[in-house]
Amino acid sequence: MIPLKKNTTLIASIGMSAALLAGMTGGAVAEEVKKATLFGDMQKVTQDMLDHAAGDGNNFLHTNGNYAQTRYYPAQQINRENVHDLVKAWSFNTEVVETMETTPIVVNGTMYITTAFNHVHALDAATGKEKWHYKHKMGPITTYCCGPNNRGVFPYEDMVYMGTLDAKLVALNAKTGKKVWEVQIAEPELGYSETMAPTVVDGKVLIGTNGGEYGIRGFVKAFDAKTGKLLWTFHTIPENSAGVWNEYDATGRWMHRDIKAEKAAYAKNGDPYKTLGGGVWQNMAIDRDNGRVYFVVGNPSPDLYGAIRPGDNLYTDSLVAVDLETGNYICHFQYIAHDVWDLDAVSPPILTTVMDNDGNMVKGVLHGGKTGYVYVHRASDCSLIRYSEPMVSQENRWVLPTPEGARMLPGANGGVEWSPMAIDPTQNLVYAINLHQPMTYHVSEDPYPGGKLWLGGAFKVIQTEEQWGNVSAVNYNTGKIRWKVKTPQPMIGGILATAGGLVFTGEGNGRFRAYNSTSGEVMWQYQAKAGVNAPPASYNVDGTQYIVVAAGGNTQLDYKRGNEIIAFKLKGR
Amino acid sequence: MKRLITAFTTLALLGAVSLAPRAEDDPYASVRDKLQLCQTCHGEKGASTLPQYPILAGQQMYYLYVQLKDFAAGRRQDSIMTPMLQKEAKMTRDEMKLVATYFSEQKWPKTNYTVTEEQKHAAELMAGSAECTACHLGGFKGNSRVPRLGGQHEDYLLKTMLDFKYRRRTNAPFMNSLMETFDEKAIEAMAAYAASMSD
Ligand code: HEC
Ligand code: HEC
Repeated sequence: MIPLKKNTTLIASIGMSAALLAGMTGGAVAEEVKKATLFGDMQKVTQDMLDHAAGDGNNFLHTNGNYAQTRYYPAQQINRENVHDLVKAWSFNTEVVETMETTPIVVNGTMYITTAFNHVHALDAATGKEKWHYKHKMGPITTYCCGPNNRGVFPYEDMVYMGTLDAKLVALNAKTGKKVWEVQIAEPELGYSETMAPTVVDGKVLIGTNGGEYGIRGFVKAFDAKTGKLLWTFHTIPENSAGVWNEYDATGRWMHRDIKAEKAAYAKNGDPYKTLGGGVWQNMAIDRDNGRVYFVVGNPSPDLYGAIRPGDNLYTDSLVAVDLETGNYICHFQYIAHDVWDLDAVSPPILTTVMDNDGNMVKGVLHGGKTGYVYVHRASDCSLIRYSEPMVSQENRWVLPTPEGARMLPGANGGVEWSPMAIDPTQNLVYAINLHQPMTYHVSEDPYPGGKLWLGGAFKVIQTEEQWGNVSAVNYNTGKIRWKVKTPQPMIGGILATAGGLVFTGEGNGRFRAYNSTSGEVMWQYQAKAGVNAPPASYNVDGTQYIVVAAGGNTQLDYKRGNEIIAFKLKGR
Repeated sequence: MKRLITAFTTLALLGAVSLAPRAEDDPYASVRDKLQLCQTCHGEKGASTLPQYPILAGQQMYYLYVQLKDFAAGRRQDSIMTPMLQKEAKMTRDEMKLVATYFSEQKWPKTNYTVTEEQKHAAELMAGSAECTACHLGGFKGNSRVPRLGGQHEDYLLKTMLDFKYRRRTNAPFMNSLMETFDEKAIEAMAAYAASMSD
């Protein structure tokens, strides 16, 4: 399904060491920039523009809309009254027919999208016409989980930034697509890879890492946007990862931990921090008032076998805040201490004003868990204010994995997977897409296999049971579910809310829908040729509002693959 | 069979020099003798036609390299490959990379395996429950450290999956855990299904 050609002649002529670098795997092709010409006038993305993105109804500058990651788009040309007139404006086919998770970024009429295996296309956002195409020169060694995904670029000044499967950070000239610099973030042979879009602020490019399935030691790193120089590293796994030996999860349920045995193992073998996982899969929310960076940390390694990693496994499965200037720790909240189900924290956190339990309006952080709960935190100290009603069935939680397999709901994909949520602050609602996927959890006592896949067992979807998904709207000031719409398949991708009173999200069967954001009523739908499993975006060119989404299917859930970017506008505009 | 193979090996080693292209324009000059040896079993350019010898031609480079390292270190045990890579075909890491690169650069051969409807259904259930494509990708094409399965020999796929199941092949703990949860019938169906996939 990956129609990429291997460049044999090139490799033969430049000799072996270069050939190894150039890469010869399925996704590897020589770097190439086509049609590197300047169209239109692409202006610089200033810090000021990025700071005001929440009110910018023309551009879409951040993966999740703005630094608070609200995915609430302020334009309302497309709204409940006219959304039935939404039609396809254009579509663009990439070269790579594989999983698409990209959020299109739009800067003054130019759109930037990425594909599996790290291609970047710049398009005319009004017509879909290509301006340039960059193919990352992939190294032969990549180690990633859950598909050769990429979730997009981040624009800053005159560059766009992308993380790659072979764990590099590349800076491209936004006008030409030519590479300006490239740095190695971490060692792919040990399980590090990049699929998230970076976040850039005050000249710092922030990026996490994947690898919780390979026994990495996770981090968030900050690089200088001009030069690529490493500025700071925050290790998501501290050298003392034991924590407080918490036996209860964030919702107060006992997790069947054998603390005595764990303490004995800890005393005997020491702290497991070096191979404890803790990836950061998704973008961070930036609190510009306080210079704080909020992100969530993924599962401990190995996923299912806990005895080998005694302790709470800090800061896995946690919300963490660090200082933007230094990367120093500020606060954290752990949802699941010593997780053995991979029900970790992946969906990007959202900053917004919330009501605390005394009725005061405070700065808050929202996170949608793989557990199927929305968690509401106080931003100042990361503490939990409340958790929502569960959006998906909870059965047999927290049964311990066994060699034969123990059934539990949610399954290991969630609840809410990596899919970003959106909010509508005028209604105090947060929108999330969920999976209902019963699984059995199997444990196996495997030692660290040196950079190979290390789950300490396996997860299996129970094929004889029905699976489905849902779109849920939750009031974050009460924790109550406002509405919920069931979908025929488990959902993965993302959601966008707009000031037009709508939310947009897609499904594995290719359906892309608009819902009434207050009632959940389906107001419009479009049938794409492949799964719509990417977060939608919106923008405006010459007075016309567009909604845009990628339809490329999904590797992890095996939804029909494709290679299309589809933009919609109102009929007759 | 064993004796036949030994005879082949010797022949191939003798033939190696004359078959190789001129050293100065051959990036693989330093491993040509090894490549000759491999091809006695794995077929011309690794496009094996014998069902017990896995196809190497067009396989993922990094996967091949890791297997060579694992055989040589005894992490993957096979009565032919392990001793060979420890003795007559002992290689440095760089030579292993070169050999792996050579095979990965060749064209995956057409194999024409077929699958019954019943097996296909069973295999699809298995693939769905274990999310095989999350790692092996659409068409089971593989990438980097994850091997291609699509179009591989059915007998080999079956053998290696059963070796995972019964922990005879232990260089990939996750694949052990996974195969343990499936019965032999499902694994047979999967071998037929994966083998039947073509480009
Ligand atoms: C005498 C026959 C023979 C020769 C010669 C031979 N192999 Fe093999 N090879 C096998 C067999 C049989 C297997 C399958 C082992 C198993 O079932 O685990 C195998 C497996 C492999 C694998 C694993 C493939 C996979 O899909 O996991 C690789 C890689 C490999 N051989 C490389 C080589 C290389 C490189 C050479 C030359 C240096 C070579 N072999 C020479 C018989 C041979
Ligand atoms: C989480 C990732 C993952 C999943 C899911 C997965 N595999 Fe694998 N598989 C691998 C990796 C990595 C290897 C290579 C292991 C090694 O380095 O030896 C592998 C190896 C194999 C091999 C050996 C191929 C060869 O040439 O020897 C077979 C066969 C296989 N997998 C079949 C399957 C099937 C069938 C499924 C689904 C039922 C599946 N795998 C699911 C990652 C995965």
